[in-house]
Amino acid sequence: MRPSSLRAALAAAVLVLAAVPVLAEDAPVVPGFVEETAEAGIDSVYSGEWEFMVGGGAATFDCNDDGYPDMLLAGGAGPSRFYRNAGTRGGPLRFVAERSGLELDGVAGAYPLDVDGDGITDLVLLRVGENVAMRGQGECKFERANEAWGFDGGDAWSTAFAATWERGEQWPTLAVGNYIDRTQDAFPWGSCTDNWLHRPATSTTADRRRFAPPAALKPSFCSLSMLFTDWGRAGTPALRVSNDREYYKGGQEQLWRLEPGAPPTPYRAADGWKPLRIWGMGIAGTDLDGDGYPEYFLTSMADNKLQSLVKPAADESPRPTYADVAFARGVTAHRPYAGGEIKPSTAWHAQFEDVNNDGRMDLFVAKGNVSEMPDFAMKDPNNLLIQDRDGRFREVGEEAGVASFRTSRGAALADFNLDGLLDLVVVNRGDKAQLWRNVSRDTGRFVAVRLRQDGPNRDAAGAWIELRRGKAVSRREITVGGGHAGGQSGWIHFGLGQSETAELRVLWPGGEEGEWQPLDAGGFYIVERGKPPAPWQPR
Amino acid sequence: MKKFATAIMAGVAMSLALAAVAEAKDKVIGVSWSNFQEERWKTDEAAMKAAIEAAGDKYISADAQSSAAKQLTDVESLITQGANALIILSQDAAAIGPAVEKAVAEGIPVVGYDRLIENADAFYLTFDNKEVGRMQARAVFAAKPEGNYAFIKGSSADPNADFLFSGQMEVLKEAMDAGKIKNVGEAYTDGWLPANAQKNMEQILTANNNAVDAVVASNDGTAGGVVAALAAQGLAGTVPVSGQDGDHAALNRVALGTQTVSVWKDARDLGKAAGEIASALASGTAMDAVPGAVKWADGPNKVEMNAIFLKPVPITKDNLNVVIDAGWVAKDVVCQGVAAGSVAACN
Repeated sequence: MRPSSLRAALAAAVLVLAAVPVLAEDAPVVPGFVEETAEAGIDSVYSGEWEFMVGGGAATFDCNDDGYPDMLLAGGAGPSRFYRNAGTRGGPLRFVAERSGLELDGVAGAYPLDVDGDGITDLVLLRVGENVAMRGQGECKFERANEAWGFDGGDAWSTAFAATWERGEQWPTLAVGNYIDRTQDAFPWGSCTDNWLHRPATSTTADRRRFAPPAALKPSFCSLSMLFTDWGRAGTPALRVSNDREYYKGGQEQLWRLEPGAPPTPYRAADGWKPLRIWGMGIAGTDLDGDGYPEYFLTSMADNKLQSLVKPAADESPRPTYADVAFARGVTAHRPYAGGEIKPSTAWHAQFEDVNNDGRMDLFVAKGNVSEMPDFAMKDPNNLLIQDRDGRFREVGEEAGVASFRTSRGAALADFNLDGLLDLVVVNRGDKAQLWRNVSRDTGRFVAVRLRQDGPNRDAAGAWIELRRGKAVSRREITVGGGHAGGQSGWIHFGLGQSETAELRVLWPGGEEGEWQPLDAGGFYIVERGKPPAPWQPR
Repeated sequence: MKKFATAIMAGVAMSLALAAVAEAKDKVIGVSWSNFQEERWKTDEAAMKAAIEAAGDKYISADAQSSAAKQLTDVESLITQGANALIILSQDAAAIGPAVEKAVAEGIPVVGYDRLIENADAFYLTFDNKEVGRMQARAVFAAKPEGNYAFIKGSSADPNADFLFSGQMEVLKEAMDAGKIKNVGEAYTDGWLPANAQKNMEQILTANNNAVDAVVASNDGTAGGVVAALAAQGLAGTVPVSGQDGDHAALNRVALGTQTVSVWKDARDLGKAAGEIASALASGTAMDAVPGAVKWADGPNKVEMNAIFLKPVPITKDNLNVVIDAGWVAKDVVCQGVAAGSVAACN
């Protein structure tokens, strides 16, 4: 789709949304979660000294093609733990710890993606030391592929990851964010190391299905989260980078323009990008206000940010200028809501999902002190913020049963038992990871979809899924990256409220608009490019 | 207002209140606290409120509860409620800019309280951190004019840590240049944490075979870590150690002789001065006409500002009565475990 027609469509969508009446069915249900860590067989600790004060990611993915999300939990100094999902539909959560090949030590984070386009999920492991690309072999076995893919794992303190498929390329482009120079433990301030951009090899003679040597993304400011996202809907994702102001000198949040064949360039003040300095730890994006452009939730210490694009004039291209609407929306989540401490919070992984299936995105935020930072809360419960009808968010972590006081880092919301309700896993520093089953009652309905296309980008990263109920449209961008040190691949979940049907279309990478297709509530669908959605049944 | 300002230019800021009574009436002073639930600000507030009311003005306040975003709306709300001057204790210096700009655009003067708001249109009121550093070094130097010195600095992320260190160096430079004092180790203390200070001190002791004669520590928390490291080597009480803040445990160490000095910043002085300055600004005094105001441009961005730096008080074994008489700390806390007759204030 041409940008101009997209903008017209977006403008129309906004008008329609504004006219949608508030329905009585939209009264928010407070979700309920039950911890099943031990019963489910999860026993994993994110351990280590100061080099593991950040990181601690959770990755969820399906490595045996049974539709149930499996997971890898970063182990820090110790080995990471792989868990195969052994659950049944609607049953209690069950996992089996298995040798997968992913059990490396020194792992801070992990992101699943299909690097080589063979239809089997691969992973990139972010480490203190060499990063390792792990090729999926099927049946949840993985093998090192740095040499086979020309992936230079370097030797740094890697803490952030994002991937995209650039136009015309047969191979993905990976961004790796690096933190402090770990040899400078006596005086780490200002020692931020370069982030890397691994683009496809460009040689005309050699196989182009491998990586070129990484290029430094200068300047780099101790990045803790990265996300390729099409912020302005121009059709080419840019790289958003969230940076930790504790350690950089003269840094700020970043957005890199990445046009095919051209070196990356940062957006600057002249482009409309406003300097923002936070203790950036995690990025979660979603279109909250229905204008077609993603909002970005950025985790930090004390206030968290919710950035909303300042609307371009009708005849103008959007500029990357954002307003902070966190306070107005009730998502600053800056201080513990339980535990009695009045010092500010420290936030890490963040994820937008609809946990009560009412059709509105909710927000989970993992919390925990860096180690013993005296000006920040020690008892710092994780947040579960559900979105009310008026677009404001409300803290329900305690009522919902997920108000853990452990020192949390990474997390993932995923439907582990395929019952249509998103469950939760959280990785804790120096403590056991925790797993909760979503047992909410009186929720709305749902659908879950997976995208498929031929070619190198099998899971269609960069696509947008639009789901229409009546006149209301919700949108999700398919991305690889963001959060804190961990990513999810697999089912994309939509809450439907009380609707029994919905319509879905996909805006595929490259701009092709799929047709609107009807879906029945309560089902899982594989959406292959050029074909109608295929219902899928779990075991 | 000019006449009034000239009249007391020679005086100190403290005398402002009496003069201001005649001039300022019924102005509203809006105070934006970063996190008022923190106990220490209650003392500041009482002194601030008393000074504002003594000037015939009204005190209103808001509590940002540690949220920089809430603080922006708090300041707007204080302006809406008719504030003629603002005192802002910022939650996040990097995020408070828009609030100051809005106030300035409406002609409302702003006093940055205790924490720097680096904006040419804001007034800056704090204790003189360089002087704190000087006082620390002076007290240690008086006790040990020659020998091996260690420096336990504050958090590198905190600009105050460097102000303190530069004050310390100012005092000791001559003796260092003369070779009488040797710097045998210096370290920043991540997060100002006592445990980190202790670790750094242990490393410096090890590296010097315990041949450390004096320690300039930048606050009482780090001094506590230093004293623990010295005690483990049997050196506590023989090596002078500085500190800052008047922490109760530190004042007890001063009485016991394991810490030489704790530089005390009396929050009542700061609150009172802020109230007086805000009342003066509200009734039209220009910032550079505030009695005692100096030009200052030593912030991270070198922005020139009008500022007042209050002088702290070094508390040693000889004047512990000052903190006790002020009601800052109870005598039995300061004097716990002190041998009878060894400290005057404990008698």
